[in-house]
Amino acid sequence: MTDRRLRLAALVLALVGLAIAGYLTYVHYAELEPVCGLGGDCERVQTSDYADLAGVPVALMGLAGYALILASLAIPGELGLVAGATLALVGFGFSAYLTYREVATIDAICTWCVASAVVMTALAVVTCARVVGAEAGVPH
Amino acid sequence: MLGAAVALAAVLVLVLVLVSSGGGGGGSGSTTTESGGSRGGAVAGRAEALALMAGIPQNGTALGSPRAPVTVYEFADLQCPFCRDVALETLPDLIRKHVRTGQVRLVYQDLAFLGPDSVKAAHAAAAAAQQDRLWQFAHLMYANQGEENSGWVTDALLDRIWNAIPGLDVQRAKRAAAAGAGTADLALARRLARSYGIDGTPAFVAGRTGGTLEPVDPADLNDQIDSLVSG
Repeated sequence: MTDRRLRLAALVLALVGLAIAGYLTYVHYAELEPVCGLGGDCERVQTSDYADLAGVPVALMGLAGYALILASLAIPGELGLVAGATLALVGFGFSAYLTYREVATIDAICTWCVASAVVMTALAVVTCARVVGAEAGVPH
Repeated sequence: MLGAAVALAAVLVLVLVLVSSGGGGGGSGSTTTESGGSRGGAVAGRAEALALMAGIPQNGTALGSPRAPVTVYEFADLQCPFCRDVALETLPDLIRKHVRTGQVRLVYQDLAFLGPDSVKAAHAAAAAAQQDRLWQFAHLMYANQGEENSGWVTDALLDRIWNAIPGLDVQRAKRAAAAGAGTADLALARRLARSYGIDGTPAFVAGRTGGTLEPVDPADLNDQIDSLVSG
């Protein structure tokens, strides 16, 4: 796959992630109960000890993460590629940890959070593929 | 390049995880964290609790019109998981259908028999009852319930729940709870429970207001109250 297609895929994924994190950030500050499908308990997760990090809502951190990944796509050259991959890998790792906490500690699943984790995983794959492609000299 | 990105990401994730674990209610493995308790401004179940009780008159531990033709006593303990299930899954229908319409008056009787967390929660509930907001408080406690006697009824949790109830004077509630609000009511509730032969929670007795109240099976609560109201 060409880098152009991978970049487009990353752009779409980051926009989807931005929408999910934006919704969760909105319901957090509006003190609303998130609409939670598939039998999840988003509110329990969103109000748990793990819903914020040093006072910053995790949803807001996700929003910032997706925005930064989007911004990295606009940076030309290696810097943009490595920045995007690093951000997506951080997002992937922390999403995996939070999903573990949902299952093991909070005993509730937030459908939106899982959706975000899936999007971030796909972003990590795509952004890493771009880095590998650049190293192997894949055409743009 | 990829190796550097992975290494940097691993370090950053490690930092995030350490901050998250360390910040969870005062330390990794704290009881609040382990029980899935909440913190910060948001409280689980707030919107539902406020919507459910909005506009329904409360007087102390009673919810609903004092002229309601049917009275239901609920005997419960705020850290009993079955009471939580009934409060969050069965009572909302009863409240919407019969209490809101003035047909049923629900009276909460706290037995606080499961341990220290029960007693602490009962004093906090009585403090809310003094301000006619017990039912929002109880619903929020159930929605944020932790593991039995794990120390989940922390001052921070009570603060958050009191703060989540509009119109409640939190400082007044704190003072009342610290002074042992509801101690006499606990003894009365336990005597009342014994008189009905109740030895576990949740338990309900119901009947025509002013008449004899009879035990009602919690599993069949809504049907039996339907019959009482229509009878």
